[in-house]
Amino acid sequence: MTVDAVYLLQLTLNGITLGLLYALIAVGLSLIFGVMEIINFAHGELLMLGAFAMAFALPVMGLLYWPAMAVAILATMLAGLAIYEVLLAPLKPDEFERSILITLGLSIIIIHAMQYIFTATPRLVDTQYGFEGIEIGSIRITWTRVIGAGAALVAFGGLYAVLRYTQFGRAMRAIAQNREAALMVGIRPRVVARNAVVLAAGLCGLAGAAISPIQLVTPYMGQFLIFKAFALVIIGGLGNIPGAIVAAVALGLVENWIGGFFEIVWQEAAVFVIMIAVVFLRPDGLFKRGGMRVG
Amino acid sequence: MKLAAALVAALLFAALPLLTTSNYIMGVGVSALIFTVAAAALNLIYGYTGLLSFAQLGFWGIGGYATALTVVTFGGTFWWGLVWAALINAAVALVVGYPTLRTNRHAFVIVTLTFALLATLIARDWVDLTRGALGIPNLPPPVAFGYEFGTTGRFYWIAWGFSVAMLTFLYALCTSRIGRTLVAIKQNEPLVRAQGISPMPYKLASFALSAAITGAAGGVYSFHLGIIDPLFLDFYYMQTFLIIVIIGGAGSFWGVVVSGIALSALPEVLRFSADFRMIIYGLILVVAMFVMPSGVAGWLRERRLARLRKTLR
Repeated sequence: MTVDAVYLLQLTLNGITLGLLYALIAVGLSLIFGVMEIINFAHGELLMLGAFAMAFALPVMGLLYWPAMAVAILATMLAGLAIYEVLLAPLKPDEFERSILITLGLSIIIIHAMQYIFTATPRLVDTQYGFEGIEIGSIRITWTRVIGAGAALVAFGGLYAVLRYTQFGRAMRAIAQNREAALMVGIRPRVVARNAVVLAAGLCGLAGAAISPIQLVTPYMGQFLIFKAFALVIIGGLGNIPGAIVAAVALGLVENWIGGFFEIVWQEAAVFVIMIAVVFLRPDGLFKRGGMRVG
Repeated sequence: MKLAAALVAALLFAALPLLTTSNYIMGVGVSALIFTVAAAALNLIYGYTGLLSFAQLGFWGIGGYATALTVVTFGGTFWWGLVWAALINAAVALVVGYPTLRTNRHAFVIVTLTFALLATLIARDWVDLTRGALGIPNLPPPVAFGYEFGTTGRFYWIAWGFSVAMLTFLYALCTSRIGRTLVAIKQNEPLVRAQGISPMPYKLASFALSAAITGAAGGVYSFHLGIIDPLFLDFYYMQTFLIIVIIGGAGSFWGVVVSGIALSALPEVLRFSADFRMIIYGLILVVAMFVMPSGVAGWLRERRLARLRKTLR
């Protein structure tokens, strides 16, 4: 089999952009797990809400990309706040199964309510950039992908700065690394957990908004992305943010390469096979876990 | 006492085809019996062993496809199909379970969930084997000794025999020394180790058995429907099993059996549109987790303990 270099490069670029968007979802999950030791099953639905918010905001804003994205992020942050205050705040850190079941119920309510209201018909989202792209030689990549990837990179930079240099972020890391000690120096876990959930929801909204012009928007879009994000969180190590980012970009690449040359079923199976292999060889994930560290 | 009540209930269920000629009621009966078995299998791994497994949905689907493919593609009988469904699932459970159970319970939940969603995607995308979204229609009715289980009334006997056999087996297992060991692992694993018992074989065996039983249940159910397609792996089934276990009371054998029968009949009584039904299921799940996280059986047990304390005071 001869491999066409241009085709391979095209797959690689697509893989990196997709991987960065996966990373946004996985980072949010890691952040919540690090601070609260729970898994938010409804995270994919936050993404879906972000995509829907983008789809509805765009025509109102005259197809302007950035204001619509801001609306989507705000909407998901509000949804995250509501979810935290109503459902997650009463949970204790060791109630892992309960957290899963509660957020599972929530995710089913959201999916089916959205399907009931907006029907399951896939929506095509058009932006000011349309479907134009940059062309380098015979490689073509759409603007929406480039901007999505760029926004993800900026978001990671911002997250790094927040976690490393602000009191807000230090409190999150403190809770993640040693809950008792953090309590003793006067950090309120409830406030920190709320901040973490809202921050993670915002990242998810960004991912949803960035993905909506790339993929079709349906009530089910979150489910298939979230299951990859769960696997990524395991591969990168639970609660490990850099690990999740590296694993996500790697998965985006591997998936696109496999998808370019083999049948689609292998593309879907890849993430699971990798996850089982990682769990088998390194039960704590590829990267060593030690509380939530950023650098 | 409980056993006598169970025997009477089993005989009453056996008499259902004699009491009614309605295919609809008997169809609901078949679903109730099979869902109860699948929920009891989930109870074995979640309620007794304390491992929340979402993989049951995958096992249910693999079992359904294994049975259907044995008959349609490989020309075997329905009965061999069930055996294959159980064996394949047990093998898959060992392969997935061994690496995963060495990690923590968090990873177990997430890996099993990913497994279930993967099974759905494979059912849809591996067209050569599963025929993709079109599915495999017109599954032939099972035949035993020249007797064809062609009608719903006749198929009901298969579902009844299957569920009585499986529930008896699970009851014997859960009340045995093995069942007590599983509960001990759930409650305090370090203590179990300190007693010189290795938890790993028990967890693996519990996972594999639960997978095999769920798979066989899926096999029976696919032939009840007469068709299998990727919708057989809809998350609706996983949610039904979970709600049955949670409402009945995880770790309570009879609680889950009773709620299995009751809750399988409930959606038929409440005939809403599919979306509405799912929304109500989701609401039930959320509310139940807040109001009575240990289910009806747990609630009754607490009431009894409270009364006991009152009389002792």
